[in-house]
Amino acid sequence: MKAGLNLIEASELLANNETSSVELTKIYLDNINKGEELNCYNTISSEEALKAAESSDKRRKEKKSKSRFDGIPIGIKDLFCTKNIKTTASSKILSSFVPTYESTASQNCINAGLISLGKLNCDEFAMGSTNKTSYFGSVINPWKSKNSDANLVPGGSSGGSAAAVAADLCIASLGTDTGGSIRQPASFTGTVGLKPTYGRVSRWGIVAFASSLDQAGPITKTVEDSAALFEIISGHDSKDSTSSIKQKENFYDNLNSSVKGIKVGIPKEFKSDDLPVSTQKAWDDCKKLLQENGAELIDISLPHTMDALPTYYIIAPAEASSNLARYDGVKYGIRENAKNLIEMYEETRSIGFGDEVKRRILIGTYVLSSGYYDAYYIKAQKVRSLIKSDYNEAFKRVDAILTPSTPSTAFEIENEPKDPVQTYLNDIFTVPVNLAGIPAISVPFANDENNLPIGLQLITNSFEEQKLLNIAKNVQDTINYAPNLDKWWIK
Amino acid sequence: MEFDKDSLLKLGKLSKIKIDEDKLSSLSTDLGSILKFIDRLQSIETDNVDPTSNSLDQSLVMRDDIALDENSATEILENAPEKELDFFSVPKVIE
Repeated sequence: MKAGLNLIEASELLANNETSSVELTKIYLDNINKGEELNCYNTISSEEALKAAESSDKRRKEKKSKSRFDGIPIGIKDLFCTKNIKTTASSKILSSFVPTYESTASQNCINAGLISLGKLNCDEFAMGSTNKTSYFGSVINPWKSKNSDANLVPGGSSGGSAAAVAADLCIASLGTDTGGSIRQPASFTGTVGLKPTYGRVSRWGIVAFASSLDQAGPITKTVEDSAALFEIISGHDSKDSTSSIKQKENFYDNLNSSVKGIKVGIPKEFKSDDLPVSTQKAWDDCKKLLQENGAELIDISLPHTMDALPTYYIIAPAEASSNLARYDGVKYGIRENAKNLIEMYEETRSIGFGDEVKRRILIGTYVLSSGYYDAYYIKAQKVRSLIKSDYNEAFKRVDAILTPSTPSTAFEIENEPKDPVQTYLNDIFTVPVNLAGIPAISVPFANDENNLPIGLQLITNSFEEQKLLNIAKNVQDTINYAPNLDKWWIK
Repeated sequence: MEFDKDSLLKLGKLSKIKIDEDKLSSLSTDLGSILKFIDRLQSIETDNVDPTSNSLDQSLVMRDDIALDENSATEILENAPEKELDFFSVPKVIE
């Protein structure tokens, strides 16, 4: 069997009886074992996965498969609650937490017969762009610069989800994206990452970071896989009061890669002299490609682009400080004993949270505190309206927007800047999309001069994921990006 | 821009996070840098703009209130760091 299967290929092999779910699951568990050094998984559920694979094979034999993807092994970010399987959010404070229920998104995967291989490492509580804030240590990007042996960050926060797909430690994975946490790691690892419209995928059972921005989505090898896995996890859920009531769509069957007559906007605010030459070239090549395939390019303006990041760093920490108030050493997770209740809270949260999480809780508390609430929090919500309105105006003129996914390719783990604000700048191209609540996808386009993947971002209006996936497929099919990743970790 | 020590300790109290003496200085620099960054918004004109708290143009969806037999106390208490009988247990609050 060829290495590096995608969802569609695996489903065809299963349908033709050329493999079984048990065989596939064993291959991927073996890959995980060999790739231990990459630190992609916090928890590996070998026993549960093999048991589920046996059931899947039995169903297939009896022609009772739950879907065409029944029996395919995937990985799940350690932010989705999984019944009876440890869920830590990569935090010390939740390091012992075993949920008694299953998140809707992961339940939807189970309902389609997908097999979970385990829980994927991420930044602590999904706060980070490097995966370095994880209590369980950094994930290592399977890609290396051709000029250096140094380990690179996979991006974050869904670093494990992206690295595992790139390194064939699962066929596809679930991630979450609050400010770029699916698209940025996808871009750093040569994978496809989709952030759906806010409300498309239920947030029920996902450890909350910033509730008005959080959205789950797939990280996959191809656009087809992205459509298929997105279709599986999306749909209305009565347990999430912000879940969209829109009908579930057949994103995979309805894929159509024609871009004839499609208007693609190029926002002038994303242009920068600081952009690496190779990223600028990829962006220009993609514009040319779309034009040659029949799309029309239109210059647009999104005037509040540069205001998005400071807005995000008010709204996200504010919501986080509220959401993370529940970790108090009483109901779940760890407790640090102290002589009274208040000190117990303070000691538990002090040793339970890492530095970045503490910084965000403190900033969030500050911007919500009396005297600062209007100046920061309400102000940020108003600027959020301006950002949203920029996109509304743009989508009156164009069908989609094309930008780079990230301002750089993957960088060395040891090279992270000391000033947190410098790290925040990684998400400059992805954050506005979350504030506007619209969908976007990062598609691998080329490799830079160091042989590191460059991702490009396509953005459409709310609930226009079909159009988004169609254009992404056009780009994918035209360039035929071949990752050609050297599996250095297999000795 | 730096956060002064007393404000930072007060913020720690509000957030229920103990801030260690040896972390005060670096944390003050970090928070100062973040504050300076988010302060950029103050120059944006927003007089006639309504705030957006949620990007979804849909009112919150209600569901029928139906009792379900799941998440029993016994199951939930399995995760509690300390429990007594069928309750979470905490350090004594009343003297």
